[in-house]
Amino acid sequence: MKNTTPSGTGNPIDRVEGHLKVRGMAKYASEFPVSGKVYAQAINSTIAKGEITAIDTSEAEKQEGVIEIITYKNAEKLKRYDEELPSLLPDVIQPVLQSPKVHYYGEYVGLVVAETFEQAQYAARLVRFEYRTEEPRIHLDRQRSDAYKPEESSDYSRGDVAAGMAEADEKVEVTYHTPIEHHHPMELHAIIASWENGEVKAYASQQMIDNAAITIANTFQIPKEKVRVIAPYVGGGFGSKLHAKQHVILAIMAARKIGRPVQLTVTRQQMFTNTNFRQQNEQKMQLGAKKDGTLTALVHETLSHTSTYEEYQESCGTVSKMLYKVPNNKVSHRLVPLNLQTPFAMRAPGEATGSFALESAIDELAWKLKMDPIEFRIKNDTQTDPSNNKPFSSRLLTECLRIGADKFGWERRKMKPGAQQEGNWLIGYGVSGASRAAPYRETSSKVKLELKGGKVYATIQMDATDIGTGSYTIITQTASEYLDIPVDQVSVELGDSLFPVTPGSGGSWGAASYANGARVACMNAIRELNQKLNTDEDLSIQALLEKNELSSYETTGTAKPSEAFKKHSVYSFGANFAEVWVDKDTGMYRIKRMVNVGACGKILNPKTAFGQIIGGLTMGAGMVIAEQSRIEPKYGNFITRSFADYHVPVNLDLANIDVVFLPEEDKIANEMGVKGIGELGITSVAASIANAIFNATGKRMRDLPITPEKLIMAEPEPDAI
Amino acid sequence: MRPFVFTQAQNQEQALAAAAANETAKYLGGGTNLIDLMKEDVERPSELIEVAGLGFQEIKSNQNGGYTLGAMLSNADTANHPDIRRHYPLLSMAMLSAATAQIRNMATNGGNLLQRTRCPYFYETSMPCNKREPGSGCGARNGMNALHAIFGWNEQCVAVNPSDMCVALAAIGAKVQVQRVNGTTRTIDFSDFHRLPGDQPEADNTLQPNELITAIELPKPAFSKHYYYLKIRERSSYAFALISVAAGLQIENGTIVRAGLAMGGVAHKPWKLTRAEEFLTGKLPQTKNFEQAAELAMREARPLEDNEYKVEMGKKAIVRALTQAYEKNA
Ligand SMILES: Cc1cc2nc3c(=O)[nH]c(=O)nc-3n(C[C@H](O)[C@H](O)[C@H](O)COP(=O)(O)OP(=O)(O)OC[C@H]3O[C@@H](n4cnc5c(N)ncnc54)[C@H](O)[C@@H]3O)c2cc1C
Ligand code: SF4
Repeated sequence: MKNTTPSGTGNPIDRVEGHLKVRGMAKYASEFPVSGKVYAQAINSTIAKGEITAIDTSEAEKQEGVIEIITYKNAEKLKRYDEELPSLLPDVIQPVLQSPKVHYYGEYVGLVVAETFEQAQYAARLVRFEYRTEEPRIHLDRQRSDAYKPEESSDYSRGDVAAGMAEADEKVEVTYHTPIEHHHPMELHAIIASWENGEVKAYASQQMIDNAAITIANTFQIPKEKVRVIAPYVGGGFGSKLHAKQHVILAIMAARKIGRPVQLTVTRQQMFTNTNFRQQNEQKMQLGAKKDGTLTALVHETLSHTSTYEEYQESCGTVSKMLYKVPNNKVSHRLVPLNLQTPFAMRAPGEATGSFALESAIDELAWKLKMDPIEFRIKNDTQTDPSNNKPFSSRLLTECLRIGADKFGWERRKMKPGAQQEGNWLIGYGVSGASRAAPYRETSSKVKLELKGGKVYATIQMDATDIGTGSYTIITQTASEYLDIPVDQVSVELGDSLFPVTPGSGGSWGAASYANGARVACMNAIRELNQKLNTDEDLSIQALLEKNELSSYETTGTAKPSEAFKKHSVYSFGANFAEVWVDKDTGMYRIKRMVNVGACGKILNPKTAFGQIIGGLTMGAGMVIAEQSRIEPKYGNFITRSFADYHVPVNLDLANIDVVFLPEEDKIANEMGVKGIGELGITSVAASIANAIFNATGKRMRDLPITPEKLIMAEPEPDAI
Repeated sequence: MRPFVFTQAQNQEQALAAAAANETAKYLGGGTNLIDLMKEDVERPSELIEVAGLGFQEIKSNQNGGYTLGAMLSNADTANHPDIRRHYPLLSMAMLSAATAQIRNMATNGGNLLQRTRCPYFYETSMPCNKREPGSGCGARNGMNALHAIFGWNEQCVAVNPSDMCVALAAIGAKVQVQRVNGTTRTIDFSDFHRLPGDQPEADNTLQPNELITAIELPKPAFSKHYYYLKIRERSSYAFALISVAAGLQIENGTIVRAGLAMGGVAHKPWKLTRAEEFLTGKLPQTKNFEQAAELAMREARPLEDNEYKVEMGKKAIVRALTQAYEKNA
C-alpha cells in the first residue's frame, strides 16, 4: 500500500471542476450545442380530474416556426403499466400522452415543437383543450377514509405497545403535520434528445444515468444498449432527478416524430406540477417513559398520499424503529390516493419528516419528565439496532450530543420556557438527534493510465454524476491517493452511460460508492501490473508501467458491500443544536445560530462535506420557516407556483452555522470507511428549531412550516407558563 | 409570452402619443412586475412603450420644504439618496425592505406605484379572478385567502396591495404627478391614488388611460426623527409583507404633535390609519396610547376565513412600530 499523498482523501482541496463552473464552461443539459436542435414546450392540464373532450390546435399550427403539436391523439404508443398502481421506482416506465384522462392539475396534455423557444412557448398557449371535469380528490384529511395499507413492509411492530404505554409514568400523544414541499434544484429539469439509427441520445439532467437509460429503454421498448444518456454536470436534484420523468419521454418522442434533436426545458412553474414533490404527512405519535427516562413504548403512525396511478410511500416511521432502545414499538404507514402527481423521494425521504415528529415528541416527553432532552436521549441510546437486532457498524450519537452540547453552550439553557429574554426577544435553545442510513452499492469504474513525459496521468470513468456535491473532487482525490500521484495528474469523467455502471447520486450512497469504485479500479491496475512482472516489490505506478514497458494501461474494477456490511446496521448519526430568538409579539423569529455535529465516517474532503451539511441545514431551515406548497381546495392546483411564493431560506435567515465532524473509523460501512453526508444535515433541523421555539415561548408548534401567522395564533402549553 | 411591439420613446410626448395611438399598449418601467405578468399571460399588452429612459430621474427639493421624486428613478437610488435618507428615513426604510437589491435596482418609482396584487388567483389564468377577468368571479373570496384583506374588501375582490413603498407614502402623505396626452398635467392626492375594489376590482388606482406618472411629491419632512417600518414576513428578506406598518411621529416637548400611520397587507390600497393618527395627536408617546390607537385602527377589521391572524398581528404590529418609532431617537 502506498502512503497518502498530500492531495489524497481527507484534504480540503478546491473543487476540481470549480474553475469550469465559475467561468460558465461546465455544460448542463440544455447547454449542449447540438446542431439542428429545435425547441419544445409542454402543455399542462388546467383541471385536476376528468377527460379531454376536444383539442383545437388550429391557431397554434398557424404560428411561425411551429413544427409539430403532439397530444394523446397523435402520440406514439408507449409501453403501459402492467399493473394498477405500480410502485414509482427510479427505473419504472413513464408513459405520457397515452390517453385523454387527466389525473392531476398540470399533467402534461400536449407538446409544441418549434424552431425557437419563444415560438414554442407562444404556440403552446394557443392550443385549446376542452375537458369533462370531475370532482378531484385532493384533501388528505377529507379523503382519509380511502386510506389503504400499501405493502407489508409498511407496518412493523415489536413488543406490546399497549402494555408499554400502561407501564409509563409520563406519556405524550400528539400529531405532527408536514406539508407538501418541492425539491426545486437550481438547474431546471432539461433534456436535448435525438434519434439516430434507432438509437436515442439524451443530454439530460439526471441523478442516475443507468436508471434513466432503463426507463427510456423500457418505455420505448428498445434495448438499453440503444440508449445513451449524458449528464456531465447536474445543477442539483434533491431526489427530483433520480429517474427519467415524463418530459424526458416527451422530448424523445418528439425527436423521433420530427427527425430532429429536440430540447425541452421544464419551467420553474412546471417543476411544481411535473417533477414530483415531498408528500404531506400526518404523523401520530405515542410515547411513554418511566420516571427515570426509560422509554417504554413508541408508536408512529403516518398518513400520507400517493397518486391515483402510481404508488410511492415515504417511510416516516423508519427512524422510530431504530433510533432508540424501546421494547414496545409500532410503526405504520397508510396512503390515500389523491388527484395529485405521485410524490417522490426528496432529500432524506422519511428521515427528514419522520425525525421532525420523533425528535419533537422526544422533547415533549423530556419536558414532561423534567429531564434534560440530551440526557433523555442518551439514556435510551443503543449500540444494537432494535428493529433487526443487528449491531450498528458504528454509532456515535451520544458523542455527537455531548460534544455538540459543549460547543453550543447548552449548559446555559434554562428548562423553563421563556426564561431567557432580551428586549422584545424570547430566547430558546433546542436540540435534535440526527440519523440517516449510510447505504453503499455496487459500483464499477474504469481507470486509464498514460505515461507521458515521465509522469503518470490517470483518467477515471464511471457513469456517476456530480449533482453539485463534489463527486469529481472526491473521486480525483481517491485516485490520487491509491495511485499515489498528484491530483493534477488525475482527470475524472462522469455522467455518460458509455462508462461503467454506478448507482448514481441519491440516497446518500454516492460518495461511499464512487470512492470505493474508483479505489478498486486503481488497485486492480496496480495488482495487474504487478502480476505481469511477477513481483511483489512496492513499486510506484510509474515504475510499474515503465518496467512493463507500457505507455498506457487500462482496467476496470467493481466495489461491492461486504458480508460484514450486510450483518450490520449502517447509519450516519448526528445532532443539531439551535438558538432561536422569537419576537414576543409579532410571531417573527430568527435562527441565531446552529451547531451541527456529525459522525459520518471518513471525511473525504472537508470542504465538500461542509457544503453538504450546510446545504442540508439550509433546506432543513426551509422546512421550518416557510417551505410549503399549498393546494387550492377546489381546483387542485398549487397556488404557490414560483419562488415569489414558495419561500426558501435567504442568507439572512441563517446566521451562524458551526459544523463539526467527529473522527469516526467505520470499516464495516466499506473499506474506505466513507458514510453518507448528503441527507444527514436536513434530518435534525426542524425538530431542533421547533424545540427551541418551545423553550423560548412554551408553544408547541407541531405543524410545519412554523410561520408568523401560526405562531401568533398558538397558545403556550398549559404546563409551560 | 405573446408577441408584442417594443417602442422606445425619445421623449415624453412620443411616449404619450404612442400610448394614445394604441389602446392595448402599456408603459414599461423596470419591467419587474409587468414582464413577469406577461410571462404568466396575465398582462397581454400588444405594445410596450419604454419610459424608464425618459428622464424624470431627479430628486429635487421644493420651495415648500418638500421634495419631488422622479418617477423613473430606481427604487434603489431613491431609497439610498442622501436627502431621502435624511429627511424621509421612513420611506427609505420601507423601500429597502422590499424585494431584493437586484429588483430594487431595476424597479422604478412609477412602476412601484402600479405594481399589481400578488393574489395567486390573479396569477393563474385557469382560475377565476375579477381583477384579471372582470365578471369571472373572485376565487379568493371563498378560496385560499390567508394573505388577503381585512379592510375595505367586498365580494368582488379581497386582494391586497403589495407595495412597501406605498405604505410609507401613505403614512407620510404624498401626491402623484401625471402627464396626460393632451399635454396637461394633474396631481393626485396619495389617498385618492389607489382605490378599493368597489364594483371595478380590475382597477387598482384612479389613473386614467394613457396617463404617464412623472413624479411623486413629498410634503415637508415631519418624521425624520421618529419613524419605523415594521414588516412581518415569513423570511428575513425577499418576501412580501403578511402585514406591515409605517409609523412616523413628530414629537415636540414630549407630546405627539403629528402622527403618520399606515398599514400594508391589509387592504386593496395602502391603508392609512386616519383615526389612530388623529387619536395620537396631542397625546403622550406612551404604550397605553399606542395600544389604544391600535385598538381604534383595528376596530373595523373584517377578517376572511383564513386571515383572522391579521387582526391580532395588526394590533401588535401597530404598537410595536409606534414604540420603535418613538424609541428610535428618544
Ligand atoms: C420576486 C419579487 C419580489 C418582490 N418583493 C417586493 C416586496 O417585498 N415589496 C414591494 O413593495 N415590492 C416587491 N416587489 C415588486 C417590485 O417592487 C415591483 O415589481 C416594482 O416596484 C415595479 O416597478 P417597475 O418599474 O419594474 O414596474 P414595471 O413592471 O415596469 O411596471 C409596472 C406597471 O406600471 C406601469 N408603469 C411603469 N412606469 C409607469 C409610469 N411612469 N407611468 C405610468 N405607468 C407606468 C406599467 O405599465 C405596468 O403596468 C417584488 C417583485 C418581485 C418580482
Ligand atoms: S381577490 Fe381580487 S385578485 Fe384575488 S381572485 Fe379575487 S378578484 Fe382576483
